[in-house]
Amino acid sequence: MSSAATPPVGRPPSGRLWHKPAAIKNPWLRWGLIAAVVAYAYWAYTFMPINWDRVAAGLPRAARIINTAFPPDFARWQLLYSGVLESIQMALVATLLGVALSVVVAVMAARNIAPVVIYWFGRAIIVLARSLHPVIVAIIFVKAVGFGPLAGILTLTVYSVGFVGKLLAEAIEEIDRGQLEAIVSTGAGFAKTVLYGVFPQVLPRLVGLSIYQTDSNLRASAIVGIAGAGGIGNTLSSAFRRFDYDFAFAILLVIIGLILVSEAVSGRIRSRLT
Amino acid sequence: MLKITKLTKIYGPGRPALYEFDLAIDEPGLTAIIGPSGAGKSTLLRCINRLVEPTSGSIELDGVEITKLKGAALRDVRRRIGMIFQSFNLIDRLTVMENVLSGRLGYVSFWQALTRRFPQEDIDRAYYLLERVGLAHYVNKRADALSGGERQRVGVARALMQDPKIILADEPTASLDPKTSIQIMGFLKELSEEFSIPVLVNLHNVELARRYSRRVVGLQGGRKVFDGNPGALTEDVLDAIYGTADRDPEGVLTLESSTAAPSGVAG
Repeated sequence: MSSAATPPVGRPPSGRLWHKPAAIKNPWLRWGLIAAVVAYAYWAYTFMPINWDRVAAGLPRAARIINTAFPPDFARWQLLYSGVLESIQMALVATLLGVALSVVVAVMAARNIAPVVIYWFGRAIIVLARSLHPVIVAIIFVKAVGFGPLAGILTLTVYSVGFVGKLLAEAIEEIDRGQLEAIVSTGAGFAKTVLYGVFPQVLPRLVGLSIYQTDSNLRASAIVGIAGAGGIGNTLSSAFRRFDYDFAFAILLVIIGLILVSEAVSGRIRSRLT
Repeated sequence: MLKITKLTKIYGPGRPALYEFDLAIDEPGLTAIIGPSGAGKSTLLRCINRLVEPTSGSIELDGVEITKLKGAALRDVRRRIGMIFQSFNLIDRLTVMENVLSGRLGYVSFWQALTRRFPQEDIDRAYYLLERVGLAHYVNKRADALSGGERQRVGVARALMQDPKIILADEPTASLDPKTSIQIMGFLKELSEEFSIPVLVNLHNVELARRYSRRVVGLQGGRKVFDGNPGALTEDVLDAIYGTADRDPEGVLTLESSTAAPSGVAG
């Protein structure tokens, strides 16, 4: 019985070998990079102040927190309810304001329809709105207008302009130029040209972005609350501060549920848009 | 009415797209501009409504010099110049009626345009024009649901909505099948006579030019090489316009063989 390794009759083993070619061909470079990564990992380890005693003490503490968090405590549900309601209101108002502003900013920041000076101004607004994380923006607004939902609304509005404004401007830059020319040819001015030649082409995109942004603002409203900008995030951070871990756990469950529901709803609606 | 003198357009280094072009149009009816691709036909039409800025020369519409107009004065002239496009350029997501009414955007206020509250006489005119091109039953249908021929009929109605002094048609039949092309050319000719509006139409189909226009202008390399009535379009003239070797045989429509083409008009 011949084994599977035997070559076909009449053909001696050729002795040819095959190996997968190395991703980096130059052996010096290859081994040099591996050595460098190992050296860096060792240096980083010796540099990091890892205190194993503290890790050891932390584990049972974490276990204690999780223990006290169980079962979640929904006794103060009125507080939970008003926090969630405030978050939803913040998210909706901010989306409305943010989308309205985004439309103006996007028209300014679309290279194909805006004059050069306006274009750079519009781009600058978008870059500014995008460059800072909502938590940092929230800290600034809390300093400026005080604790509460107003700071949250302003933060989420800025956040919305950064996202919706940028993507809507890109959608405007991709419109069919022919339709625009047809409207310009009728003698329509800039505003009427945008109304007929631009908006109908980007409207489905605008609706889709608005729904996505509502969902996104709801998520962010929980986070900016931790910086003191109102909503369920506020309730959560004060629960943590008072070591009410069981209440905090209840809040977390509600936030997760809220986001799951909003994501499912926005996904359903967006999949039906054309 | 329309008087073009020494119109020149230079896009960049090299041969000008249009060079010292002269043309005067005084009566209604179709004037066909023919010539090979790149001869400057589109550039000519686009200079007239200033979608393209002429380099030099003059264009007068009813005695008004329009090459130097800006802002509101330019828009006032544009609204009296209708334009029909090869790719129709309807607003896809708007209804047929909105597309036709958009021909009035140069006349109505922003608020009227936004709320679609057009004056009653505009609506009456739109209905009349849609009946004229046989699309009155489609008023609330979205433009992108129409066939090519139907879209171009909406394009014709939109141009006429502008109450234009002249209509520019840039290859209006190039995206259509032969039978639909004939239908569109028929509408253009009839409506041009009915409203006493001259129509300047770019065509690459010599047979359509012969059949529908009262005057033919031949362009070659940005220069006018022929101007006369369609009867004077002899083989020698066509050779001068298109060149002997590279005359496009498909540009010549054989009318007898075109009857089998699908009409594209739905129920």
